[in-house]
Amino acid sequence: MMGKLKLGVFELTDCGGCALNVLFLYERLFDLLEYYEIGEFHMASSLQDGGHYDVALVTGTVSTHRDLEVLREARNRSDYLIALGTCATHGSVQGSVEMPIKEKLKAIYGDEGNPMRAMDSKPVVEYVAVDLAIPGCPYDKEELYQALMNIAKGIDPVRPDYPVCVECKLNEYECVLVKKGLPCLGPITLGGCNAVCIKSGLGCIGCRGPLPGEVNPASEYEILKSKGYDDEYIMKKFKTFARWKP
Amino acid sequence: MIIEIGEFTRVEGNGKAEIIIEDGEVKDVRLKIVEGPRFFELLTLGRHYYDVPDLEARICAICYLAHSVASVMGIERAFGVEVPEEIQLLRELGLIGEFLESHALHLYLLVAPDVFGYPDAIRMASKHGELVKEGIALKAFGNRLRELIGGREIGGINVKPGGFGRYQTTEELETIEEESGALLRLAKRAVRLFASLEPYGERAEHFVATNGYLWGERLIAEDKEPFHYTERIEEHSLVYSFAKQSCYNGESFLVGSLARLLLKSDQLTPEAKRLFKEHEDKLSTGYVSYNNLAQAIELVYSLERAGEIAKILLDRGISGENVPVEPREGEGIGYVEAPRGVLIHHYRTDSKGRIVHSNIITPTALNHAMIEESLLKEARVLYGEADEEEMIGRLEETVRAFDPCISCSVHIVKL
Repeated sequence: MMGKLKLGVFELTDCGGCALNVLFLYERLFDLLEYYEIGEFHMASSLQDGGHYDVALVTGTVSTHRDLEVLREARNRSDYLIALGTCATHGSVQGSVEMPIKEKLKAIYGDEGNPMRAMDSKPVVEYVAVDLAIPGCPYDKEELYQALMNIAKGIDPVRPDYPVCVECKLNEYECVLVKKGLPCLGPITLGGCNAVCIKSGLGCIGCRGPLPGEVNPASEYEILKSKGYDDEYIMKKFKTFARWKP
Repeated sequence: MIIEIGEFTRVEGNGKAEIIIEDGEVKDVRLKIVEGPRFFELLTLGRHYYDVPDLEARICAICYLAHSVASVMGIERAFGVEVPEEIQLLRELGLIGEFLESHALHLYLLVAPDVFGYPDAIRMASKHGELVKEGIALKAFGNRLRELIGGREIGGINVKPGGFGRYQTTEELETIEEESGALLRLAKRAVRLFASLEPYGERAEHFVATNGYLWGERLIAEDKEPFHYTERIEEHSLVYSFAKQSCYNGESFLVGSLARLLLKSDQLTPEAKRLFKEHEDKLSTGYVSYNNLAQAIELVYSLERAGEIAKILLDRGISGENVPVEPREGEGIGYVEAPRGVLIHHYRTDSKGRIVHSNIITPTALNHAMIEESLLKEARVLYGEADEEEMIGRLEETVRAFDPCISCSVHIVKL
């Protein structure tokens, strides 16, 4: 067998969940380690290989100059870069605060502001080319596992191209939007999470970002309005994890 | 001269430290939180209360449920909503899952490699595979509890003001009761391991916790007088860090497992209480490094309490009814114990139930000053005695003992 592929995990600004989720693969992490050797993963290891990576996982948004440096390093030193999680793919919640960075810093740190330099949070995909984007807040572990296994075997990873509603129907969950009138973004959100929020009897929060292609946010907007939600509420809901334009 | 500790490894988030040397002596230490700010207080402003706990769950992955529950409690108090014991017990079960998941991650995967001299748990596994497996078993069980109560292992949405989206089944609770009992043996072994370590770092003088074991209406300190955070805790900005620093009556203090055990040992479960008594002499010295031992004792507490809760709920059955929530203008504070210490969510709402004021203070921000003091103490001991690499390694261990969660320390709004 050829040598193992070298894997690096790079964390930018986020909640830490997308890196943590790699550890939550538990024993299957050890299955992955049959094919991969971890060269850098600062949440889990004190090792810093510093060399070339076959696959780099990048989590989080670019929110500081340090983040941007780490991202560029990761891109320059890796063959295959995966933007992992909705922060990296769409900007997620911190990317949705619409205010110039100076005003944000002033609001939080007081009139004198904070002399540390921060940037408006943006997803990784806005700065570098990525080979694969796996959204989700957090992403589905199974999707990452399959993608890494496929890459190790030279197969192009599968990319879901259907809305959350498909997986909701396959699981035979009750439609919370139609039956309970709960705010659910399932019809316009990219599937791949196995409709995890509807499993709890609650609406999809849209954490995997908009379904590309034939999605119809205008129709979703009308449905939510007919259920009694006001414009402000719907707009905020649409913009929470990704910037939908209804 | 400045000795720089590059970004800490085996902690969550991005932080580093500088040791400032002048005239051959350690003069000062700066703990620098370099992780970018995420502005959660601004994010929640103007938001309808229903969506807020789901947003707050995104502050931190390791303790998302503590954020969800603190958020829900702040909102319920603002609206004057009280939930029955059933809902409280289920929330408690989720928070206990979070203790197990977080403490096991910290002790077995982040700290144990220091104890045995490895850079990480993966490489430690070849010689100490059993121990790593035990840690993973505890962590996985904790995560199953989080998924059961919170709807997902990370970033769940099932905890809502007034109750839950989905309630738990009898079969699920039966498994919890059974497995929590079976895992107890592993947790007791962890207590033995971490009790054998020598103390390091600073000794804390002040401790702060919520008045109940996992949450409270107020905070308490050594005098056990309940107080609101605004009465005794002050925050200030630093020029070198995105995280603010807090003081208790003007002095540094400790939150987390060690603080909880020292202030609330009377609320522990039987075996955890016995273990606390057995190690009380050590713990009461206040060395922050004993936070590791305190976490191990809390693993025992968590497993005993998970079994108790499952039994109570199985005996009386789950009704699965949410309490109606009527939005109104109000103000509420949620005080919850995250695994690494006190977490505060403070909101004001308008008559439509939208958030008009939000303040969040996380445990790592509360511990920030204490972490710096601990680094200073340890650096003074080590400087000149150890070579630079060894010194940096030991200082990292000191920081790690606090189980800091750097990504959640940077969202603090001014008071």
